Amino acid sequence: MKQTHADDLRREPLIYKLRAFITKPANLLLVFFLTVLVLLSLLPLVTMLSNMFTIHLGTEKKLTRLPTGTWTLIHFSNLFKGDDWSRVNFWDPLWNSFIVAFGSGILGIAIGGTVAWFITRSDLKCKKFISSVFVFPYMMPSWTLALFWTNMFQNSQVGGGNVGMIEAIFGICMPEWFVFGLFPIIVVTGLHYSPFAYLLIGGILKNMDATLEESATILKASRFTIIRRITIPIVMPAILSTFLLIFSSGFSSYTVPVFLGSAVKCYTLSTKMRALIQAGYQGQGYIIAFISIILGCVILGINQWFTGKRKSFTTVTGKSGQVSLVKLRKANWPISIVMIVLVTFFAIVPLISFALESIIRQPGNYRLSNMTLQFWVGTEASAYETGMISGILLNLTMWKALGRQVALALVVAMVVGTSGMLIGYACVRRRGSRLSRFVESLAFFPYLMPSMAFGTIYLAMATSDSFKWLYGSFALLVLVSAIKFLPFASRSGVNSMLQIAPEIEEAAIIFGVPWRKRMTRILFPIQKSSILSGYLLPVISVMREVAMYTLLVSHARYLLTTMLFSFNQTGYAQYGSAVTLLIIVIIMLINAITNKLTGASFDKGIGG
Amino acid sequence: MPEIILEHVTKKFDKFVAVDDLNMVIEDRGFVTLLGPSGCGKTTTLRMIAGLETPTSGRILIDGKPVFDSQKGINLPPNKRDIGFLFQNYALWPHMTVYENIAFGLEMLKWDKAAIRKRVDELLALLKIEPFEKRYPAELSGGQQQRVAIARTLAPSPKVLFMDEPLSNLDAKLRQEMRAELKRLHSDTNSTFVYVTHDQLEAMTLSTQVCLMNEGLLQQYAPPLTTYNAPANLFVAEFVGNPTMNFIPAKVETIAGCQVTLSLLGKKAVFTAKEAVEGLGEEAVVGVRPEFLPICEDGPIEGTTYSTLPAGMETTVKVSCGDTMLTSVVFGSVDYAIDTPVKLSVTGEGIALFDKQSRMSVGSGRLEVL
Repeated sequence: MKQTHADDLRREPLIYKLRAFITKPANLLLVFFLTVLVLLSLLPLVTMLSNMFTIHLGTEKKLTRLPTGTWTLIHFSNLFKGDDWSRVNFWDPLWNSFIVAFGSGILGIAIGGTVAWFITRSDLKCKKFISSVFVFPYMMPSWTLALFWTNMFQNSQVGGGNVGMIEAIFGICMPEWFVFGLFPIIVVTGLHYSPFAYLLIGGILKNMDATLEESATILKASRFTIIRRITIPIVMPAILSTFLLIFSSGFSSYTVPVFLGSAVKCYTLSTKMRALIQAGYQGQGYIIAFISIILGCVILGINQWFTGKRKSFTTVTGKSGQVSLVKLRKANWPISIVMIVLVTFFAIVPLISFALESIIRQPGNYRLSNMTLQFWVGTEASAYETGMISGILLNLTMWKALGRQVALALVVAMVVGTSGMLIGYACVRRRGSRLSRFVESLAFFPYLMPSMAFGTIYLAMATSDSFKWLYGSFALLVLVSAIKFLPFASRSGVNSMLQIAPEIEEAAIIFGVPWRKRMTRILFPIQKSSILSGYLLPVISVMREVAMYTLLVSHARYLLTTMLFSFNQTGYAQYGSAVTLLIIVIIMLINAITNKLTGASFDKGIGG
Repeated sequence: MPEIILEHVTKKFDKFVAVDDLNMVIEDRGFVTLLGPSGCGKTTTLRMIAGLETPTSGRILIDGKPVFDSQKGINLPPNKRDIGFLFQNYALWPHMTVYENIAFGLEMLKWDKAAIRKRVDELLALLKIEPFEKRYPAELSGGQQQRVAIARTLAPSPKVLFMDEPLSNLDAKLRQEMRAELKRLHSDTNSTFVYVTHDQLEAMTLSTQVCLMNEGLLQQYAPPLTTYNAPANLFVAEFVGNPTMNFIPAKVETIAGCQVTLSLLGKKAVFTAKEAVEGLGEEAVVGVRPEFLPICEDGPIEGTTYSTLPAGMETTVKVSCGDTMLTSVVFGSVDYAIDTPVKLSVTGEGIALFDKQSRMSVGSGRLEVL
């Protein structure tokens, strides 16, 4: 009798288990996000995979003479075959992508690492100025530097034959390889990511225990030996993982190669992908997208394997805060001046150049008589001289595009910020469970996909029959942006929730405070600033995204960034410069407001 | 003869004076501890001697050679001072194996490979860490890391060894073991040790000389037992010894050579110093170590027990006598119920007398409570 009672108690009927499971809000959240994320990130992937093996309407159908939807491997064989077509459309762009990724990784590390060392370890002058201005290019969208480069160096001998600033002022014509092609793509991408390297490496140098270097000094090692044998090996894991991040960003970047490469038909994998899809070779375009995703996974895998190894180490801060700074002596002023000039050139001059470019009538002529505010405030009456539309500040299309972009940014921020926080909460509360691990990695998965590939997948899905209603809609943009920018929001959500001890919530549970109140009255206020930055970061990301949106919008003037892209593609350089300046100003404003409100800042926080 | 001499050494961080006019001679083969509460300037002093920190003014000589002289503008970098330094957090290089860590200093001295191998083997054996030779620091326990750090510091056989709270990151048991080993190492290596700690027990048990500092000022520089038995001032008396010395406020009535009559705890008392008492004002503080304040049947001081803390070997009894709380240590374990009336007597020759105003010691001797 007693025995059966004990057995009864020991038994766990499924219904009770289920009930126990669903009474925890964290579990419900996990199940919800699991469903949504599987639908939104795995389903498109499957769609894309199937597109790689089928014949599409249009060019493909015409060339192969097969009915639409036939299963085939012809896209693979055409792309990889090795004849001229496949060389031009796959192997050369692949090679270019590798060169760009590798070159910009090395350049970014070299510049960022050097600046980081000088700032943290030497008695360089004007450190404050250099370090705060140096992170500027990272806040600006990467294509701004590319536009700046063309503004600066284009000349009558190359490309479209527009006269750039250098030619106009000094009369020097830079050779073509300097203005367009791989060289400027590498330089611009490298420069754009060097602040990122600077922030990561500098952070480690700053937190690195000074006694590690001091003890080598006492053992009679010279300055140079210390850098070579102690400092560099210790920051090496960080350097390598920074390199990999820049590598993968460089590999998949779209706008920079488009702005600096198209003029001379220099393609990388992502620009080629777009070109192929536009030309009707969808199957092959999707294969390239898939290859980019695989590469992203491989790089992340290498990175994780690398940082997980025993030789990777966290360096704890020791007792001695002050490292004896290396005295640069005579070299101090020259080095400081070179640095100041460099950061000024890449961080401040671009802004001036955009302002200038947006007010000159005839490109390349910087005389006062050639200046006009037509491109900003011109009316439609005077539109003939500025090319069809009125000045951007008086132009309804522009304001509508800006309005849509801002609306998109706000909606996306709401969705992404809230999801990120809830995912963070649920994953942390159920940490260790398989479900939580799965949701966490699913939320991070979109990070592996280059924007271009990601946009492509959704394009594939939206053009398929069952989702036709999505094509070109605002909802599609929200959906894609939300998924694309979720990784950082969920990362920051997890990190901020990890800092709150479960006891804090448990204390409220004991008082019988319902879940919604616990979130809004206890957890949210505690991590206010980091949660708010989780809301504000997507705003900036949306404001500067070009690549993905050019694929997804129904017409180029739908969003501000796609409008800018079309201005530059069609040669309205003044409008392009004006819109660029406008976007930079908006981003800086958002960053400044974020910084004021929450203490979080784009240049301090997470980036990618 | 690596004697270290500090003359008028001062270190300021902006306006904050970390070390103020410090004069000290560290003898050859001594084991000197710099002792004091946190922020008293002891680590700064050590780092200045090592050359990791530059003094604001003064002169430092190692082995008769000036390594720092603010007037002559001499400032030798640490690598030219022939010293070893053991850091609080060990500062082992995480990317090098135990062997590589220890060998690094010898490589810098351009020893050949075989010689390095031999010396490292010696040290591995000396510190009993042979099995860990190929491991990385992250794979070692705190105690093992500590030994590797010592081996690395000892490898080039420095004449002077500086240690900055090397045991503070270890657990209590390991700390005790390492203390014994450090003392052993000191006599084995024949070098001068300068040791920073805030743990008075460590200073007492290890060193030949203790340099007590507070707020940048030298308080007493003497052998450890002297600081215990004849503290120079109230700060030293309070800092050294555990349980803390009893401080009984007293009114001075007469002073006659070595004899001082006092009134304390509502009673009359006669203090007989070893030498003539000088510099005593109207108010005094009598310092009695707890072991000189036994509980006995016919003691002159009456009180009631406040709490009893038996520890096995000895028992600490807190006794309240009017407004004053006194601590007595009794050998063996005795357990008193709370609020038991007890009597205390004052014994021994080591009773200290301080002037309340200047906080300085004016003599030590016997105290007779009437």
